[in-house]
Amino acid sequence: MTSALEINGLSKSFGDKVAVDNVDLTVPQGSFYGLVGQNGAGKTTTLAMAVGLLRPDGGSSRIFGSDVWADPTHAKSLVGVLPDGLAMPERLTGREVLTYLGLLRGLPREVVAERAHELLSVLELDEAEKTLVIEYSTGMRKKIGLAIALLHAPRLLVLDEPFEAVDPVSAATIKTILRGFVAGGGSIVLSSHVMALVEQLCDHVAVIDKGRVAAAGPLDEVRGAHSLEDTFVELVGASDVGTKELSWLSR
Amino acid sequence: MAVALTMVAMKLAILRHSMTGQKGGLIATGGGLGLALVAATIVAAVVNADLLAAAYAIWMLGWIFGPVFTGGGDETLRPEYFTLIGLPPRRLATGLLVSAFVGVAPAISLLALTGLVVVGVRQGPAAALVALPAMVLQLAIFVLLSRVAVAVMGIALRSRVGAISAGLINGVIVAALGQCWVFMVALGEAGGLPAGASTAVRYLPSGWGLTAVEAAGAGDWGRAGLAVGAMVVLVALLLTVWAALLTRRAGAVRPSTRGRRPMTASTASGAVLAKELRTWSRDLVRTHQLTFALAYGVFFAAAPLLIGWNGMLPYAGPIFIVMAAAMSANVYGVDGTALWLTMMCPDGADVRGRQRAWLLTVGPLAVALGLAFTAVTGGPWPLVLALTPALLGGGAGVVVLMSVYALVPGTDPHRRGGNPLRFSEDEGALTGQAYAVLALVALTGAPAGVAVALFGWVGVAVGVATGVLCFWSFGSLAQRRLHTHGPELLHTMRTGKRPPAAPGSGRSRWKFDDLPRRERIISIVCWSTGAIPLFPQGIVAGVFKVNGITERSWFLALYLPEGLQWPMIGFMVLLGLSIYGLGLWIPLRHREAVTGDKVNGAKATV
Repeated sequence: MTSALEINGLSKSFGDKVAVDNVDLTVPQGSFYGLVGQNGAGKTTTLAMAVGLLRPDGGSSRIFGSDVWADPTHAKSLVGVLPDGLAMPERLTGREVLTYLGLLRGLPREVVAERAHELLSVLELDEAEKTLVIEYSTGMRKKIGLAIALLHAPRLLVLDEPFEAVDPVSAATIKTILRGFVAGGGSIVLSSHVMALVEQLCDHVAVIDKGRVAAAGPLDEVRGAHSLEDTFVELVGASDVGTKELSWLSR
Repeated sequence: MAVALTMVAMKLAILRHSMTGQKGGLIATGGGLGLALVAATIVAAVVNADLLAAAYAIWMLGWIFGPVFTGGGDETLRPEYFTLIGLPPRRLATGLLVSAFVGVAPAISLLALTGLVVVGVRQGPAAALVALPAMVLQLAIFVLLSRVAVAVMGIALRSRVGAISAGLINGVIVAALGQCWVFMVALGEAGGLPAGASTAVRYLPSGWGLTAVEAAGAGDWGRAGLAVGAMVVLVALLLTVWAALLTRRAGAVRPSTRGRRPMTASTASGAVLAKELRTWSRDLVRTHQLTFALAYGVFFAAAPLLIGWNGMLPYAGPIFIVMAAAMSANVYGVDGTALWLTMMCPDGADVRGRQRAWLLTVGPLAVALGLAFTAVTGGPWPLVLALTPALLGGGAGVVVLMSVYALVPGTDPHRRGGNPLRFSEDEGALTGQAYAVLALVALTGAPAGVAVALFGWVGVAVGVATGVLCFWSFGSLAQRRLHTHGPELLHTMRTGKRPPAAPGSGRSRWKFDDLPRRERIISIVCWSTGAIPLFPQGIVAGVFKVNGITERSWFLALYLPEGLQWPMIGFMVLLGLSIYGLGLWIPLRHREAVTGDKVNGAKATV
């Protein structure tokens, strides 16, 4: 069976700094794949290259067998993306953004209207009918971003920090949607630096450190008998963190 | 004062970090041009004090209206940075004011204000002594007026009415500056400079320093004290106003609650069109730009009515089109990283949708203006009917082409600070881009204009044809570029920097920034001054002569004896063309030299 996402030898440098160094990842179909790493480890850069938003210096990325760079139209129609912190059509309301993107994806008008309605109500964005995206809170932006990613019913979701700045209630909603997506045969790659979240949701995990894959595979294989957090700290070799204290804060 | 000194240190640190590469070059170029203006001002100070007062009035207008074009003025330190520290507004404003004196523009202006010392020295030691504090106070007035103007704009752009009225006022004033010869002629016809004018420019805040110096020179200490005192009071007043406005600026934005008309598009390019049209009507910055262009076009064309000449009136429409294009040049840049959505839907026909939206926004107004004003003057129908479609097509093409080939990365709309005029960190590049679009769009009207001059009505067909051609071909080029360079454009948008050339990519990528600074300054001066001999002194003077208009204005050729007039016009046209040529030739020659060296170098290593 072709993998949902297959990354081979992706590399990227910005000037002298190597951001991603020869990364290989294979995301099997139907898996919920977590990408963990410290800030600046190269998670966002890897994902951006994987979906064709950033040109790699070397390597390739295939979505269900379609090369993202050689056959972008087909590859990109199979994936839904939620990038971290990028802009959207800011002067549209949530419903308008979905209508606009659905039509851009070539969906029929009625289908777009129906799906937009459903997404807005499930994600509890339908109350903000008159609000423009530019006036959304950070959590609302994440939710409309997820709606954009889901709108064209892709088979693979690539989500960069989907739970960052999302309130617990919305996070529970998002988790339910994502679990349902995987249960229905979809595949998900998400990046996070919250270990507990990845442990709770994912069945596969890759640890990225300084632009390289430190470990990858099924969750239970990677973490062994420990918690993911312990394994992670061991892998990235930052075990002495936490021993330093701020003396001037205690009285 | 500790706050102020910290802020100055902070600003110096930021300036030091940004004085590298392209930005450093731009700052140097701007500084060079500024020094030329300083020289002119000092000459004015030596020649005639009336002239100096007028020059300072222009400096003041520059400080007030400059930020509208240069992306919101100096925003190295933003009030938002300090909101959490809880400084009282006056102290915040004072700190920001002190740090506002650190920079290239204030330094240049201070040099220009040494004209006060020149006047003072010529009048005596007392006057020279008064000139020193007057200089500083005058600079404080300039800087503060600029800050207050930006703050007022920020508040105006929070409401539609405010955006429209600001656009009208700015457009009219800038058009008036561009057409100042009309006012000079009008004044000339009224029998020389009216006696009141030299008094009037001294009563403006920009003239108070000069008034103080002159009064001190004449021994009128009461008047000198009054002028200095007035400056001190004005500075204090402006500081208070600015402090009050700053607190409003950092405040929350009021959410919109208006009803929305549903989106009825049913195709991909229809969806882009619908999105763009909504952005045009909902983004008050765009409302301001459009109103500005409209006011500029109408007033620029109508100004010569003052001297009883309506020949320019029919061109209000075309001028509006060109100005609207320049104002919306960075059509992709202003959307920031939203480009990623366009890249995820590669067949989305984004470029065409944006072009159509631009046409639908600018076109109807331009056509209405052209038809109405040409009907008023009764002609020249062929030229207006040819230029309008040519420029509309050209504008819709150049705007998208420019924004993908010379993208100026914009700040993402949801991350912009409290200054709505500022949508990019690279204000120099933004200004340059606007001027380039101004020139390029005007150029797309040239074939139609020439055709009308030679063949009359046939030119209208030429105008329609070039308009369609520009729209279609520039749009296709932009589409292709977006397709092939999407990731690079997005990266530029995300980081605010162009991606560095991949090492070993073979072809040498030569850029204008690679020119040595001296050559760079010379070519920029050439590009910015070539128009003066070519258009007003050459072509316009020729048109006046052909049409038998006796008004001589500032057209040098028309003051000469009859026999020398045509040779002078020809000379001016040639001079303009050669200045442009020189501006083009210097970088080209340098590029050849560089690539030649590289080839030779490669051979040598082989």
